[in-house]
Amino acid sequence: MGKAYVITSGKGGVGKTTSSANIGTALAMMGKKVCLLDLDIGLRNLDVVLGLDNRIMYDIVDVATGKAKLAQALVKDKRFDDLLYLLPAAQNTDKTALNEGQVVEIVDELKPDFDYVLIDCPAGIEQGFLNAIAGADSAIIVTTPEISAVRDADRVVGILEQHPLKEEPHLIINRIRTHMMKDGTVMDIDEITHHLGVELLGIVFDDDKVISTSNQGEPIVLDTDNPAGQGYRDIARRITGESVPLMEMKDESKPTFWEKVSGWFKNK
Amino acid sequence: MPEAAVLKGTKDGYEIILNDKAEYDEIFKSLTKLLDNLKTQTASTTPQKIAFEIQTQRRLFNAQERSEIEQIFSKYSDFSIHKINSDVVTKEESAQIIDQKTVHVIDRVIRNGQEVNVTGDVLFLGKVHEGGKLLVTGNLYVIGEVKGIIQAGFPNVEDKMIFGDVHNAQQIRIGEQFEILDDTKSADKINSSSIAYVNALHVLDYGNVEDLNQINPKFFNQIGGIING
Repeated sequence: MGKAYVITSGKGGVGKTTSSANIGTALAMMGKKVCLLDLDIGLRNLDVVLGLDNRIMYDIVDVATGKAKLAQALVKDKRFDDLLYLLPAAQNTDKTALNEGQVVEIVDELKPDFDYVLIDCPAGIEQGFLNAIAGADSAIIVTTPEISAVRDADRVVGILEQHPLKEEPHLIINRIRTHMMKDGTVMDIDEITHHLGVELLGIVFDDDKVISTSNQGEPIVLDTDNPAGQGYRDIARRITGESVPLMEMKDESKPTFWEKVSGWFKNK
Repeated sequence: MPEAAVLKGTKDGYEIILNDKAEYDEIFKSLTKLLDNLKTQTASTTPQKIAFEIQTQRRLFNAQERSEIEQIFSKYSDFSIHKINSDVVTKEESAQIIDQKTVHVIDRVIRNGQEVNVTGDVLFLGKVHEGGKLLVTGNLYVIGEVKGIIQAGFPNVEDKMIFGDVHNAQQIRIGEQFEILDDTKSADKINSSSIAYVNALHVLDYGNVEDLNQINPKFFNQIGGIING
């Protein structure tokens, strides 16, 4: 029996979809069977980030309303042999097209066949959010070091405390810019974790490549050298129960001696 | 058989005691008789208006019974009811009284968007995050961390106070008075031994616990529970 995680944040644009795609891909790379559920109905993106947008036949609303069978609607990622699937959101309707009961039914049908079901939650705390948390066993809250994102995460933690899931929520701090944290211009990791009172699952550094790779439909975790990809791979390992130390913040503005030396050779 | 309604003079005025063992009919009859007698007596002297306190002993009158008594009184232009008292209260009322008199200990995180309402005083050990609200009908003693909105004397009681270090709060409210700490320099004045209160000019002000007997003498004298003081 698999486990369902909802990836949520309250605020939009902090990286819920990117995190869903990358954690799902990283888990598949580890040999786990993963189903990604896009609940951002009307504004679906997860298919694009995964590069699966041109393979969609049916969507989650078709499944909920009985127009299609669940197996028909699942889109298989061919990069991973039978390990990574996506249940896409509908694009021609809105969040009210589904209710909590329908989502619970779909998630319950998926859980026996998969190790992990990751639910990509839409921004906001309306029906779409309620649908997304209804089927989940645990929540992964994504925030960035920005105050507005932390405030919204706080709101979401509050709502989750009032409607508790089976397990305590986890926290991902995304888009960390090392120099800003070191300057103290943004909240640091300890401050955010302490303030929200949620267990830290992992941190992800801000990196231009996250955007460029997602534009090509290739999650950043596939790039083995990238620090952001490393962050997501660590998160996936922690989800499977491994204990992985937190990545250290390297000051990108001041390269180490050996980085300087190798830099000289690269330039020539 | 003693009369069901008996007149008694107290230092505050006149009291009519309604025997809690007597039937209601008997009480109303007896009360009418008593008031008739009083009317003839007072008519001979200088006429004056008298307000009575009704004491129902260990019996609670419901709304209908109260209105029947009021009707009896309405027949006498010089007599009126000051209040109706009883030696007993309902369980519901007593629970409310206990709630109001208790200092509730609260240790939780009040997050953005959450609002916590409490009847009575609160000893707060938790955290109020930015955007969270803690609204208390009584006094508020803060040991925890407040970064949101707090109110004592909710919704409009101004003799309540907020104790403790609340300099990080977004707003401090007491009764209908409020202060947005960002707009003022008050935050500098607040420390762990501060009291926020509404002064005689109906303005939110800050003082020190040492000066509590001047800030709110009534509250200061009320503090009880000391055994060997």
